[in-house]
Order: sequence, then structure tokens, then C-alpha cells
Amino acid sequence: MKITFPHMGSPLIYTKLFELLGHEVIVPPKPTQKTINLGVKYSPEFACFPLKVLLGTYLEAIEMGADTIVSSGGNGPCRAGYYGEVHQRLIRNMGLDIDFIIFDELKRDYKGFINKLKKLKGQHSWFDLYKIVKTAYKMAVSTDKVKKFIEHKRPYISDKKKLNKVKLAIEDQYREIKTEQDIVRVEEYAFKILKGLDIEEKTGAEKLKIGIVGEIYVVMESGINFNLAELLNDFGVEVEMSHYISEWIQENLIPFVSHEKEIMKKAEDYIETIIGGHAKQNVGHIVDYKERGFDGIVHLKPFGCLPELVTQSILDKISDDLDLPILSLSIDEQMATANVMTRIEAFIDMIKQKKYKRSSDHERHVFGY
Amino acid sequence: MKDMYLGIDIGSVSINVIAIDSKNEILFKSYCRNSGEPVEIVKEVLTDLQEKVKNRYNVKGVGVTGSGRQLIGYILGADVVKNEITAHATATIYYHPDVSTIFEIGGQDSKLIIVKDRIVTDFAMNTVCAAGTGSFLDHQAQRLGVKIEEFGELALTAERDVRIAGRCTVFAESDMISKQQYGFTKAEIIKGLSEALVRNYINNIVRGKKIKPVYVFQGGVAANVGIKAAFEKEIGSEVIIPEHFNVMGAIGIAIIARNYILKNETDTNFKGFAVTRDSFNTSTFTCSGCPNMCEVIKIQANGTTIAMTGDRCGKWSNSLKSSEDLLDTTTA
Repeated sequence: MKITFPHMGSPLIYTKLFELLGHEVIVPPKPTQKTINLGVKYSPEFACFPLKVLLGTYLEAIEMGADTIVSSGGNGPCRAGYYGEVHQRLIRNMGLDIDFIIFDELKRDYKGFINKLKKLKGQHSWFDLYKIVKTAYKMAVSTDKVKKFIEHKRPYISDKKKLNKVKLAIEDQYREIKTEQDIVRVEEYAFKILKGLDIEEKTGAEKLKIGIVGEIYVVMESGINFNLAELLNDFGVEVEMSHYISEWIQENLIPFVSHEKEIMKKAEDYIETIIGGHAKQNVGHIVDYKERGFDGIVHLKPFGCLPELVTQSILDKISDDLDLPILSLSIDEQMATANVMTRIEAFIDMIKQKKYKRSSDHERHVFGY
Repeated sequence: MKDMYLGIDIGSVSINVIAIDSKNEILFKSYCRNSGEPVEIVKEVLTDLQEKVKNRYNVKGVGVTGSGRQLIGYILGADVVKNEITAHATATIYYHPDVSTIFEIGGQDSKLIIVKDRIVTDFAMNTVCAAGTGSFLDHQAQRLGVKIEEFGELALTAERDVRIAGRCTVFAESDMISKQQYGFTKAEIIKGLSEALVRNYINNIVRGKKIKPVYVFQGGVAANVGIKAAFEKEIGSEVIIPEHFNVMGAIGIAIIARNYILKNETDTNFKGFAVTRDSFNTSTFTCSGCPNMCEVIKIQANGTTIAMTGDRCGKWSNSLKSSEDLLDTTTA
């Protein structure tokens, strides 16, 4: 089997997982304009944007030689739950003979889930499989820890070129991991070189924090969200995202563990039931970010995404109630970058003014920019 | 010589240049169409400006705003390069300190800016649709054979009401054509269109946000008295059109540049009026230095690279400061 998977955030974890299971892995390319063009060409027009980009990614990976696609289903009324099936049909209709292994929720279909695992584990024993999955999961936790550190500190690191080099070096180290012990060593190495960089942290009214919420794919895939986290970092803003791959694994693949319950509870005032996607979690995260002293929220919604459209419709109320500025951006193939930059820059100006207003040196800053 | 600050707004449809003195008084004002060659237009306007102020004023600071702000910013050596929402709000708050709601409709964009105690507290901008902006009105004026300057006046002479679907420009146009065939006059059609655009603005941009007086309406479309009347009818309140309604972005960015220079007590980066005689060239390439694959933009003046931008790690944008970085690449 030549396995490929959706490119979402860093492809490092999946690559490692399938490699350790002994498969040949075709690492899908980061989505680019070419991916989007391919996806849009072969998808139904009114499908939501992630379906299109994922189809483009699959087609690019197939071109590179992949013959098996591994992905996850979704739960609730969100259409992502059907995407495995839809992608499969679209690709087969194009005359391509590709195997699909789609993991739906464990509790929905135990037997099917186990059968799919059997297919993937090959000659390995169940215990080996457990060990390998655990290693991949530990690696996800570890890389996310590094990622979060960078998202918090990047605005204060002036030498971006050096940071970029450091990041690449860390990724290279993670790529070489074989066992859980390796992860500990690489993580120590990562933090040692990251903390060795010149970091001049800001305080008081100068320190700005923005939470990014929205549909999981557009939040995690920097290739289609204009590198939002880095972009905000470059404006001097600390960033935290509502979705990290390790947390997704915890929620969806590890039975009986949930950190989302608490987050979901915080959404109760605005959205009672689970309406699919991550709508409820996102609203919960907004409330959580407010409680933790964040200055603003950027909400990402793929064009045509129903759960996030519902979220968007209650954002004004949430923003009013919490006195928390929220910027909602719709992501589609026709996004003009200049337009997005304008909104983001204006949004940051706005929260800066707001923050300075509360601080003592308000007058100095109001028109000082 | 006295001090002067320049504000330039590179919009999709118009290019506006403003010069103010140190008391924010307007010394020079230019509004012209963006014919697709912003650099050439800016050069022409600056030549004209230099001619008018001769040796009486000295440029102390330059600010650039609008969708084309980055490129012109590099070329002129701007001190401040800022988005048009902040620029618009700054100018409006300066002239109308009690403003609460700013309607801004330009060539391609419509915006709503909400202000409280002279601070922007919320804003919205048209998302995936540009229905009801200047370009569409232009097109309809042309189609109806009415000068755009007389478009709004004509709407006020309408005797009957006609409802035009305003959700999408394509549908609005076909609706207009069919209503014309029912025998409605041009004036009535234009009035209907103005009302449709305002309805569209309220639905798409305001979207249930609480707005309150004082209302200020600006941007190129504010020249249209028909739209102003439609706004007043829709919200049931007076709408103020500022004196310099079509160049508010340029004024705002000039004020921001002035404040920036005075607060930080720095000298301007302005390259001088000599730039009007330079020839500029921009090109792009994909850097393959790392997996980011950034698209790098290179700006040259008379064959010499003056700016590089678009790289996420700063390898190229910082390269002009230290030429050694240029050596370890092979992708240019």
C-alpha cells in the first residue's frame, strides 16, 4: 500500500504513524493554488471549501503514486461525515482505482473500525499497533507543545530567519523518531534551541492575545488560511488556536477521555445542542478565551460551512455580551489577500486602541499608532 | 519652508492624494481614476503637487493606504502604510468627533465603521460580494446613458416607486431591464436601484448591528444624492456627507503620518519628488529555500532593487540590508 492522507497542519504525525506500521507513505503536498484549482474543478460547486481542497490534495497525492487514502469521518449533522464517501465516489468516477480507509467514530461501528485497523496494521501484533499509535500520539502532543510555544513567543523574536531555520531543524529531528524515548530527547532539544533565541516579551497594554476559532480544517491548514497564526504573530500578536491535532486525537480516538466537555459547557448560553462540526466547541472556546484574558477572536469559516454559519450568526451577540471584538472571515477560492490583510490590520488597530484606552497612557496612543 | 504631510489612498477605482500642513489644514487635494497604472498616476499627481507648492513646503511625512498601499509605500518611502478602515475612521473622527456610525462605499468595497468615544469599536466590510459599490453604479449609469455625476440628481425626480432586487448585481441588472420594459422611467429605475443598494448594504454589511446617530456617509458613492436620500429613508435619520467625502482615506492617512512623525520625532523616509522621474519594475519569484515556498515580490527602480517582500522568514526582505544573504541562494 502506498498510503496518503489529508494535509492538515503538519503531516509529520501521520507520516510517522504509517511509516512505523511499515507502509510506504506518500506525503501529500501543502495545499497551494494548484491544489485548490484541481479540487474546485472536480467538486460539486456548492460543497464546502475543505471538501474541494481535500479532493485537490488527494489528486495531487495520487499523481505522486498514492493508491490508498486514509482519512477520518465526521460526526453530527456536519457534511464532513459524508466526505469520505463523496471523495471516494468523485475519485472513482474519474476512473481512478484508489482504496479508501475512512475511520468513523469508534462507538458508531466497532466492527468496521477494527477491520480497518486490521488492514492498516498488517503483520504487526495488536500490542505493536498499540505501541506505534501511542508513539504517534505522544509525538503529536510533543509537536503541539512546540507549536504552541512558537505561537506565543514568535511575536517577540526579531530574527525570523533564524527562527525559521530552528523550526526546520526541529522538524528534521522529529522525522527521525522511532520510540517514545526519542520524543523526550527531541522535545528537550527543541525547547533548548527555541529558548536560546532572543525573545523580548512585551507586557501590559503592549501585549496582545488573539484566539483563532472556526472549522477545524481551515484553522489548522496554514496553506489555505493565509498563514493566519504567523501573520498575526508578525503584527506582534500572541496566538492560540481552538484546534490542535493532539487534542483532536484525544477527543476522537481515545475512548473515555474528553477535555472538550468543559469547553462545550461554556457554550451553553449561546448554543444548546451539538449542531455538527465544531460549532459548539468554538463558541465554548470564545468564552474560554475571554475568561483567560484574550483581547480578540478571529473566526474562520469555509464558504458554505453550515455549522460555522450558525456560529457566525451569533457572534455579534457573543461579542456584545463579552465585550470582546470578533472578526469573522469567510474562506473560499476567491479570497483576495489584500482584502484579508486590510481586515486583519484594522482589527488589530481596533483592539490596540481599545486596550490603550483602558491603560493610563491612553491619550498618547489614541492617534499615535 | 513650512511642513507638509502627504496622504495617498490607492483604491481599486480611484487614487487620491492629499497634502496637509502641521495643523491638518488641506493644502492640496487630488481625486483621479485608477486606470490600472497606479505608479504612473501617483508620479503625475506628485509632479503636479510639486509644481503647485514649489519651494514653500517641505515634505515631513508620507502615509499610504488602500488596497495598493504596499507597492506605492515601498516606491515612495512611506513612513506609515495602513489599512483604509483605520485611515477612514481617523479622518471622520477628526472632522466629526461626535460620529457614531460611518457608512463608507467606494469603488469595490463597502464598509461600516462603528465608533464610540472617538475609538473604533466594530467594523464590517463586504465579504464575497461587491453588489452596490461604485463600480456597479458606474456600469449602470453607462448602460442607461446617464452621466454618473447626474445619476443621483435624476433619482430625486422620480414620481413612482419601483422595487428592484438588490441581492446580487447580476440579478439587479436583469430586474432593472425587465422593470424598464414595464414602462418605468429612467429616474424611477435609478431611484429603485439606489434603494436596492442601500437595502443590500443594510442586509449584508450592517447585518443587525446596532447603529445610531451621528451618521456619516463617505467614499466616492457619497457624491450620489440619490443614495444619500435612500439611506436617510431607510434609517429614518439625517446622514452627514463630509466636505471631502471622496478623499477621506487620504486625509486620514496623512493625519496618521503626521501624528506618527510628531510623536516619534523622526525624520521622514520619503525619497523626494525625484521618484517621479524614476522608472519602476516589479517581478515575482518563488523562493525554494524551505518548504514554505513563499512568493517573493521584487521592486526595482531604474534597474536597482529597492525592496523585496512576501517572504515569511525575512530572508529576502532583510537581504537589502546585508548582501551576504543573497549569496546562499540559487533561486532568484
